[in-house]
Amino acid sequence: MTREADPITTEVVRNFVTSCAEDMNAALWRSAYSAVIYEGRDSAVALLDADGNMLGQSTGVPLFVGAIDACVHQIMDYYGSDMAPGDIFVMNDSYMQGTHLHDITAVGPIFFEGNLVGFGAARAHWGDIGAIDPGSTMGSTDIYQEGLRLGPTRIVDDGKPIREWYDLLRLNTRLPDMSIGDLNAQIASIRTGQRRLTQLLNRIGADTYRSACLNIFEQARRLDREAIAALEDGVYSREGYLDDDGVGSEPVKVALTLEIRGEEMIVDLDGTSGPVLGSVNCGAVQTKSLLRLAYKTMINPDRAITGGSFETMAVRIPDSCLFNAKEPAACEWYFTGLGLLADLMISCMSEAMPERATAAHYGDSMVSCFFSVDPDRGQWIAIEPTAGGWGARVDGDGESALINLVNGGFRNISAEVYETKFPVRVEEFSLRRDSGGPGCWRGGCGVVRRFRLLESCFGALWFERSKTTAWGLAGGADGQGPANTIILPDGSKEHPLKMRAREFPAGTIIETMTGGGGGYGDPMSRPFEYVAKDVLQGYVSAEAAKSRYGVAFQGNGTIDKEASLVRTVG
Amino acid sequence: MSVAQRFRVAADIGGTFTDIVFQDSATGGCEAVKLLSTPTNPAEAVIRGVVSFLPGDAQMDFFVHGTTVGLNALLTRTGARVALLTTENFRDIYTIQGNDRGEIFSIRWNKPPPLVPLEHTYTVRERISGSGEVVQQLDVAEIDAFADVVEAKGYEALAVCFLFSFKNPVHELAVETRLKERLPGLDIALSHRVSPEWREFERTSTTVMDSYLAPVVRKYLTSLVGGLEARLPEGHALHVMESNGGVMSATSASKSPLQTLLSGPVGGAIGGKALSHATGRPNLICIDMGGTSFDASLVIDGKPSSSNEATIEGLPVQMSVVDIHVIGAGGGSIAWEEADAVRVGPQSAGSDPGPICYGKGGEKPTVSDANIVLRRIDGANFSDKEMQLDAGAAERALAEMGSRFGMSALEMAQGVVDIINSKMADAIRTITIRRGIDPRDFTLAAFGGAGPAQAAALAEELEICEVIIPVHPGAFSAWGMLQTDIRHDFKETLYGSWDSFEPAYLEDRFAALEQEGHIYLSGEGIGEGDVKFERSADFRYQGQEYVLTIPVPKGTIDLQEVRSRFDQAYERQYGHSSPESRMELANIRVAAFGILARPDYAEPATGTLGKPRSRKVYFSGVEHDTSILDRDGVLPESPVIGPAIIEEGTATTLVPPGWRAELIEGGHLILEAER
Repeated sequence: MTREADPITTEVVRNFVTSCAEDMNAALWRSAYSAVIYEGRDSAVALLDADGNMLGQSTGVPLFVGAIDACVHQIMDYYGSDMAPGDIFVMNDSYMQGTHLHDITAVGPIFFEGNLVGFGAARAHWGDIGAIDPGSTMGSTDIYQEGLRLGPTRIVDDGKPIREWYDLLRLNTRLPDMSIGDLNAQIASIRTGQRRLTQLLNRIGADTYRSACLNIFEQARRLDREAIAALEDGVYSREGYLDDDGVGSEPVKVALTLEIRGEEMIVDLDGTSGPVLGSVNCGAVQTKSLLRLAYKTMINPDRAITGGSFETMAVRIPDSCLFNAKEPAACEWYFTGLGLLADLMISCMSEAMPERATAAHYGDSMVSCFFSVDPDRGQWIAIEPTAGGWGARVDGDGESALINLVNGGFRNISAEVYETKFPVRVEEFSLRRDSGGPGCWRGGCGVVRRFRLLESCFGALWFERSKTTAWGLAGGADGQGPANTIILPDGSKEHPLKMRAREFPAGTIIETMTGGGGGYGDPMSRPFEYVAKDVLQGYVSAEAAKSRYGVAFQGNGTIDKEASLVRTVG
Repeated sequence: MSVAQRFRVAADIGGTFTDIVFQDSATGGCEAVKLLSTPTNPAEAVIRGVVSFLPGDAQMDFFVHGTTVGLNALLTRTGARVALLTTENFRDIYTIQGNDRGEIFSIRWNKPPPLVPLEHTYTVRERISGSGEVVQQLDVAEIDAFADVVEAKGYEALAVCFLFSFKNPVHELAVETRLKERLPGLDIALSHRVSPEWREFERTSTTVMDSYLAPVVRKYLTSLVGGLEARLPEGHALHVMESNGGVMSATSASKSPLQTLLSGPVGGAIGGKALSHATGRPNLICIDMGGTSFDASLVIDGKPSSSNEATIEGLPVQMSVVDIHVIGAGGGSIAWEEADAVRVGPQSAGSDPGPICYGKGGEKPTVSDANIVLRRIDGANFSDKEMQLDAGAAERALAEMGSRFGMSALEMAQGVVDIINSKMADAIRTITIRRGIDPRDFTLAAFGGAGPAQAAALAEELEICEVIIPVHPGAFSAWGMLQTDIRHDFKETLYGSWDSFEPAYLEDRFAALEQEGHIYLSGEGIGEGDVKFERSADFRYQGQEYVLTIPVPKGTIDLQEVRSRFDQAYERQYGHSSPESRMELANIRVAAFGILARPDYAEPATGTLGKPRSRKVYFSGVEHDTSILDRDGVLPESPVIGPAIIEEGTATTLVPPGWRAELIEGGHLILEAER
């Protein structure tokens, strides 16, 4: 090693890039106008090198882990050397950056002593981008219903905002002040990164910094190569189905093949459905980002993500594919298929890495939404994703009632807050018994949430994964899928999983139940005392203990060994 | 005949050492002692310390201590066997928790285990609505059946948390009444009493924690009171530090054991507040660096920065706490290698085996080993000469590590120190820059065994120009405790649009909380003239989730005035505000203070300039002739010009080149970067 930066400087730079990204994210969260950014944390920031390689990042939504560098590359391709200090570029096109149009990615080049030394970038979810419905539309069938599209666009020129572009943005959203406020927060975040990098470069110089970055990339690359080289070569395939495309289609197929060859992993989505009419199409950039997230949950999960991190993974997506959205495919609910894709990837990796094997989770955001647009009785909206069960692991039960993989820090709205703020009573919030897949290690349970509408209002639902529920591994059984019940005041019942907004009378009861995680290993090898505890705690009913685990109980609650099946050795 | 001496005494009970500071009530003079802690019964070390250091006929005017008994019971999961009673259909909320994933890239993350598992959670049919009306009557027969279960299973304590009990406590009270008849002597915590605030999971967690700690904290306090009672004059209570930075009597602590949870760690922040007042510096960043952890806290405008909710061991607690940010960085932080890179911490060698230089079997180089190789710590003059350090072994280990990177032992040692400094600076950024606070507007106050050695370098990282090393940096928390007042917090959830409230109604609600405060303080023996209240309320813009707590001035409430205070505070915190948006009230709060009489601190005696000493010390990789002084040899009005090292029993202060140190009133040292 004859590089200029010694290991100490390299370590200081490594701490710097993470710390710098944290500062950038704090600046974004502190100054954003939309609650979905500063509370929902639907955002991500990154510091990149002069070639657009990711150095440090901080994100509220794990889904964005590997998507920002692709945006920077596209901006570099588009503008080439036509960039100046103080410039800011934005883009949101679904086919370029991969997500829905709500996500605006802003990028600013960073110069030091006249030379390009890197980029700062900040992505944030805007509340409204001019779609056919306010907020999130559920029924879109092409991208033109979903809002304004922007390719790489210089919006600040040498520190000076370009008025025409700001006006264009303002004229294409229902929330102009909020949207421009959020854009300014993104710019503030990028400026924070510029400031901190300049401070560091004043101390150590650009050459040392560059060499330290190369060391960091090399170290990350090496750790990943070693991890993958240690795995046995092989080819693993899995497939599953989305319930529908969001506008009532037949189930939509998702297939993934993983090949491990030496120090490389090749992921191929051949066999997956082509583009669909509804809005569950996803751009290739975000598809790759999701696969990086799934990869990261298994390979060196404790290490920071840098430019060297994902070079060991190649991704092949067919040209005509659900996950390679092209004009005019609708993309608003692009993340719905990604939950299933992540489970498929993790299951394939679990075969190659049995020591970290993890079964599938409940799989999607499971959104419930109630709102009123009546100006006389006040306008309000209560919208939230719902937690569910996670897959069991080779060495432990799956967690229950946890938010899905593509979300991160979301917390459910408390029943007391719900009923105080909205004319809706939460009548039950509990673990959904028997929803976790039986196994030697049990899948986590989903939840039951029952609402009573105290006034008439609109309700909408987006629930998934009833066709391919969370599957078990190594003999573990599948978890239950989602199930909803609406009871109208006249006693009639309906069971919709996806439902566009409609009005319900006061007294309507809406009960949502999310799915459980898959089990791991043969349920007949789950120790008696674990099953007994599950029954005592309410994760498993006595009937299921008998029928699924072969464990019978006497009247006083103790295990009836005579009537129980003999344990196979686990 | 001489009058017996009287003392005010403060004790800080840590994991390794118990520090006790004695202040002469007449002169204000202070003396600090350090004893080994007695973890099985922490009261023992305190009693021994007080009995052996206090003159036989001396009396204690005031005794306060910070205890980690509650916190340890929580960390080691050795609290009471608690049964939890909830509203039907909400049995699982304490186990479900918040749904959020603690580590967003992990698929193996598990929620923190609850203190009461589901098999000890029971429900009854009852329901209060959001407006406080009874929707479902409580059934007394169900309570009787529950009482049978509690008796049969032998629970030590009971926590009750019903939905909306803070709006209408009738059902929680009914449970208490019935169970007191059936099971006298059972500890019962009702959620509307422990934390009258909305959010059922957080309130349940708070109530359960109170139940869980109660028996442990009570037993400990009884033992301490028994041991010290004889030395306290009639009617003088023994006091305990509260998590909110105030103190309370042992009797009150027994009633609300939860308030003692952060009693230990809070001492440093409270010392910071006292230091801020004593030195006239309103804004301090306080850092307490020991062997394994680095605690950072802020004093802003003379007050410790605090919040109304904390998370401990992953479990939320709704109570006022002083904000303390802790990372794993200390003198014992271990340097290690991975993929041709050098890392430092967060693993620590602790005190056993400790750093290599302790010679107790430590094999991995630590920050302390690096400091000794750089000759910043004197191997022969460490910890009051009680311990000889093995500089040679430390040097060999760092040389060996350095050889793998083509670096000398000195370069590697400097590197280890640089890396740990960049991590600590990042911890400070977390509580300043990331909250919109500029650290350059602050003075850095450094204490703890390892703090004074790193302070100037940290200040340079953060572009801070001034550092304070207080008197008794090793026993600083105990020193600060002598400056606290009685404090207790009261709150009520009041939700609604701010402009829909009548000022007279709000005044009534605040007055009701203050009435509770009067009753509490009179129970603490505080006279009417020494009572003080601070009002505040939690606000947010409509549609938001997080709140900001804003002071509400006493007297007739000017809705518009409070409104603009919120807009201003929001602007400071987030860089923008929305004066046109509707503002919501979420909670109102009253902090009740009982002011305690106390003498001023006396000037510590200065010693004489000893024989001039010097040695070669490395700063930023360069060797410097460095003068070495004893702390009591630093004299007023004769600044020490860096490079210099100031040594005392439990700490070593580094004055790097380009810095100067000066003794100021009160015996504190000020370090300044020469500009």
